[in-house]
Amino acid sequence: MSGVKLDSIVKAYGALQVVHGIDLNVNEKEFVVLVGPSGCGKSTTLRMIAGLEEISDGQLTIDGRVMNRVAPKDRDVAMVFQNYALYPHLNVADNIAFGLRIRKESAKTIDASIEEVGNILGLTEYMDRRPADLSGGQRQRVAMGRAIVRRPKVFLFDEPLSNLDAKLRTQMRAEIKRLHKRLGATSIYVTHDQVEAMTLADRIVVMNDGRIEQIGTPMELFLNPANAFVAGFLGAPPMNQITATIADGGNGPVAEFPGGSLALAPLPDLQNAVGKSVIVGIRPEYAQTVTEPGPGSVSCDLDLVETLGSEALLHMSLGNKPFVIRTETLGNIARLNSVNGFTADPELIKVFDADTGLALSGQTRAA
Amino acid sequence: MANMNLYSRGDKTFVIINMVLIGIFTLSTLYPFVYITAMSFSSGFAATAGKVVLTPVQATAEAYNYILSDRMFWVSYGNTFIYTIGGTLMSLAFLIPGAYALSRPQLYGRRFWNLIVAFTMWFNAGLIPFFLNMRDLGLLDSYFGIIIGFAVNGFNLILLRNFFEGVPSSFEEAARMDGANDFQVLWKVYVPLAKPAIATVALFCMVARWNGFFWAMVLLQDEDKIPLQVYLRHTIATLSDDPEFTATQLNASYSFETVSAAIIVCSIIPVLIIYPFIQKYFEKGILLGGVKE
Repeated sequence: MSGVKLDSIVKAYGALQVVHGIDLNVNEKEFVVLVGPSGCGKSTTLRMIAGLEEISDGQLTIDGRVMNRVAPKDRDVAMVFQNYALYPHLNVADNIAFGLRIRKESAKTIDASIEEVGNILGLTEYMDRRPADLSGGQRQRVAMGRAIVRRPKVFLFDEPLSNLDAKLRTQMRAEIKRLHKRLGATSIYVTHDQVEAMTLADRIVVMNDGRIEQIGTPMELFLNPANAFVAGFLGAPPMNQITATIADGGNGPVAEFPGGSLALAPLPDLQNAVGKSVIVGIRPEYAQTVTEPGPGSVSCDLDLVETLGSEALLHMSLGNKPFVIRTETLGNIARLNSVNGFTADPELIKVFDADTGLALSGQTRAA
Repeated sequence: MANMNLYSRGDKTFVIINMVLIGIFTLSTLYPFVYITAMSFSSGFAATAGKVVLTPVQATAEAYNYILSDRMFWVSYGNTFIYTIGGTLMSLAFLIPGAYALSRPQLYGRRFWNLIVAFTMWFNAGLIPFFLNMRDLGLLDSYFGIIIGFAVNGFNLILLRNFFEGVPSSFEEAARMDGANDFQVLWKVYVPLAKPAIATVALFCMVARWNGFFWAMVLLQDEDKIPLQVYLRHTIATLSDDPEFTATQLNASYSFETVSAAIIVCSIIPVLIIYPFIQKYFEKGILLGGVKE
């Protein structure tokens, strides 16, 4: 059982604490993605797991063994770096074999391993080339080859795709996913790209400011964000967050905006919040366009239509605040320019406390 | 637009002035070589009379005959090779690990050690204290004294350190994850990456050793241990003081000028042979320290 367990892990540089006591359990064969804005401590956390940064406080266990004071080479983990860190003076085969040679494996084992890895990653024909003669995607594959050849207990990925162009990134993302399915190794992946997080992860860990904001499956986090930060971080374009006041609409709570009001789910926590100022979150996908706003919808002004092909983004302004709606274009394109309001399913509207940013309870929804 | 002029008159004038200056500079550095070579192949009479300007006058190889038949020439030539090869290897043995250590952020007291190294670039103990120090260490008149006494030079150390600092730390981290220890990280990753910088530093060391004259003269008394440059000085000193040699030189086909010139030519040849092989590294290496990728 090669799980990774972080218990109140802290990283401090002198008086400056950058990671404030992280608890995380990564199960065997699980693919966990740490995601968050730059400087949130996700890379530092990964580097502490790798052994490249000292752990200031707390306990790290890999496979049931405490690793705080164990050298990186003895942790049985492999890491793929953002800049690949391929040895430029060695060809692909030697790059992949580097770790095995250091560990004094037999020539026979090494040859067999190189061949196997070459086949898995489609690198067989590039074995004699130096990194400088490879494309970005090929280099990335060699970097992964170097990691998988040792069959480590845990794979660590530090933003491995951020140096690639968008098309290649999509392709390599799928390859990483396939590779994980095939090898089934415990993986911890750091990225600031929420699309990578959503597509790759079994579970996502959203970090901010050296703390974990929420842990859950991609859909849990998408549908039931624990707070306004997670809601704003996952999803592209991000969830619209507008200040509103909760009022009693007769049949249940409603959120009152400058341009109208929307019915909310009849939950006790929302009922009890009548009169309070809150943040209302509506995903661009879940807002429905309206051309003649009336009761139960909110009127706002259309600033700009961005047509993406199958969908369009409508940039509206609601009391001087931006509000984005994502909508289908098919059969709809002609009326997009006359949209002047929106409405939304009460079940899909999220309400957050204006002071703490925490989601008011009871708003869980299954995918 | 076939004759589109990309350069203004000012640009052209600038280029022409540059070419002329470079030309003058090249000729002025080249001329001593030509002169010395011509002198070494001239007769003693012509050389003494100051007739040699550009080409050999009364061409003869007598000067070479004279020095090549002198046992001391061969001994000192051999010594120069020992000092150059031994000294360069010794320098690299200290400079590579030293520079690598100074380049590591985790080195305890790193700023202090770097400051100490830089200090030696501006200040040194001076001739007599250094001589006394070598004497007290029992390093006078020994091959080892010359080889180890000048092995580390602050400038070379810092040049190499700057190169190591410019290598992204992920190379070290990747190698560590792959299981390498400090020595393996240095030897299997950093040294191959630093080849151009190391070649540059090696060339600096080699040239310094090959031309090293002053300290060899001060520290070595034993004739069998002196390098070529000191032998050259001995020859000049002995020949010009030797009444017999002076008396015969008018009739001889060599003089002490032509003999000195021949020794100088012999001492230049190995550098000329090695330089083209190392030049590509040399040009790259000079830039390397300052350029980060």
